[in-house]
Amino acid sequence: MNILELNHVHKSFAKIEGEDVTQALSDITFTVQDGEFLSIVGPSGCGKSTIMRLIAGLIFPTAGTLTLNGEIITSPNTERGMVFQKPTLFPWLTVKQNLDFTARMKGYTHKKDYESESERLLELAGLKDFRDDFPHQLSGGMAQRLALIRTMINNPKVFLLDEPLGALDAFTRMNMQDEILKLWQRSNHIVLMVTHDIDEALYLGTRIIVMAPRPGRIREDLKNNMPYPRVRTSDEFLQMRKQVLEMLNFGQNIN
Amino acid sequence: MHTKSPEGFSSSSDVLSHLTRERLAELESRPRTPARIFCDYIICLTPVIFGLLAMAEYLYVPNLKGNNSTNTYTYFLLVLILIAGAFFITSIFSRKVFYVLRYKAPFYAFVFVLLALYDYLTLKTGRLVLPYFTWTDQILNAMWQDRAYLLDCTYNSLKLLFSGYFTGALLGLITGIACGCSKTADYWISPFMKLLGAIPSPTWIPIVMVIAATLFSGAVFIIALGVWYSLTIATMTGIRNIDRSFYDAAKTLGASRLQLIFNVAVPFAVPNILQGLTQGMSSACMALITAEMVGVESGLGWYVSWQKSWAQYGKMYAAIVILCIVFIIVNRGLNLIKRRLLRWQEGMI
Repeated sequence: MNILELNHVHKSFAKIEGEDVTQALSDITFTVQDGEFLSIVGPSGCGKSTIMRLIAGLIFPTAGTLTLNGEIITSPNTERGMVFQKPTLFPWLTVKQNLDFTARMKGYTHKKDYESESERLLELAGLKDFRDDFPHQLSGGMAQRLALIRTMINNPKVFLLDEPLGALDAFTRMNMQDEILKLWQRSNHIVLMVTHDIDEALYLGTRIIVMAPRPGRIREDLKNNMPYPRVRTSDEFLQMRKQVLEMLNFGQNIN
Repeated sequence: MHTKSPEGFSSSSDVLSHLTRERLAELESRPRTPARIFCDYIICLTPVIFGLLAMAEYLYVPNLKGNNSTNTYTYFLLVLILIAGAFFITSIFSRKVFYVLRYKAPFYAFVFVLLALYDYLTLKTGRLVLPYFTWTDQILNAMWQDRAYLLDCTYNSLKLLFSGYFTGALLGLITGIACGCSKTADYWISPFMKLLGAIPSPTWIPIVMVIAATLFSGAVFIIALGVWYSLTIATMTGIRNIDRSFYDAAKTLGASRLQLIFNVAVPFAVPNILQGLTQGMSSACMALITAEMVGVESGLGWYVSWQKSWAQYGKMYAAIVILCIVFIIVNRGLNLIKRRLLRWQEGMI
């Protein structure tokens, strides 16, 4: 059982000019464990991505601790995989080489297992015929699928999705949501997903954290017990959508 | 340019889903009328036509009194014309050759015009006066007579050029990567870079020639210096321009600091590095000629200034022509490497 804990995490950034320091996150505390899909929604500038980058180990908290299974997070590690808003594929590597990046970093240990796994994922993502293409030849959806499987191949304990579908069109987006759901259900690990899209958050998450800006803080931590597959037009769904929307509007008014 | 869609690659055995690049361009271009096709072939034939005209000019326009000519130039032209003719004949059978020739033919024809014009201004009318300008026939004869010596000079020049070039390139790559990736290295190296970069490499010649153990190593140093500078700057710029998100992605995928440098920063900087290599080559060529004219006692640059001092302008031009050919070949090779390494950029912009 994997447990990710954020304990009174604060994060401030120095401004590029001047002596000012802005507080990005204030007193973030929550615990997630295996089998949970946590959606984080909130207006822009509320520090959603900052939480992701902290968990990934790309930046460090000003105060408070982040732990995975009791160990403090101090650096990036493949056990915490992250997919970014942009696909961030390496443009000089082919599709297959991008997928094998981690393997190459580790010197191809267990080459055989890796090969069969990477073939399986290419198939799964519908990229088999494009294995020797370069990233700029892929469509937006294909590129993001590749970014997803590139992280998945490491079988991370925590899967961090920083608005990975933000730049996609509505249809591709809905397909990708189903794919992400399938991936999570198969592995049953922890998934944290940042999104602007309330529908997306409700469609996917077992739990929804609603955030408020300046400084970024948790406004509400909601359970979402609707059974999968969820219907976007059901009464229950719409009811919950209304609830979250009101929360977000309210969050903006008090500032 | 061409993007594949997943639909286009479905199991259907449709011919249209497996097109070659040429066939695709042909299908999508406007239909060519017989007049247009005829016109294209005439254009492909222009180098041969103008080559023959140049030969006629050489053979039938009378020489200026006192100027004499041999048949070397005639044979030279004949060889060029035969090559152009061979290309024309293959273009009838091969589409690929046809497209290349259709594109290049006007320029090749123009080269023949230039040759004829130069011949007319020197051998035929003497508008460009002796001894400074000699006609092509004499240059070719000089080249042939002195061939053993010129070959030796070419070999020595190339040896010097590449010794300096590779030394400079390797060191430049190392300092460039160090300065691009480490703030400490940048702190200690950058000030010297700025100082050295502002001084043109020929300035170093007198000092280096005194200090250096041999003339050869001195010349290598001067050539390497320019290459080192342009490669350091290029590599550094390339690495600094990298999007931070690539580092972030690589880190979450398990790359160590060293792996970040060699698997992310350096590949990202490859276009810049190649640009630096090209730039470095031109500065190396310049430094080579300067070094040879001042100190080193062999090589093409030295041959040029030596023959000039004897007023042997024919031989001087012969060496200059060889210099040009050598530089063209070297640059071609560099471009080939470039295209191979930058395959991933094809059709990107």
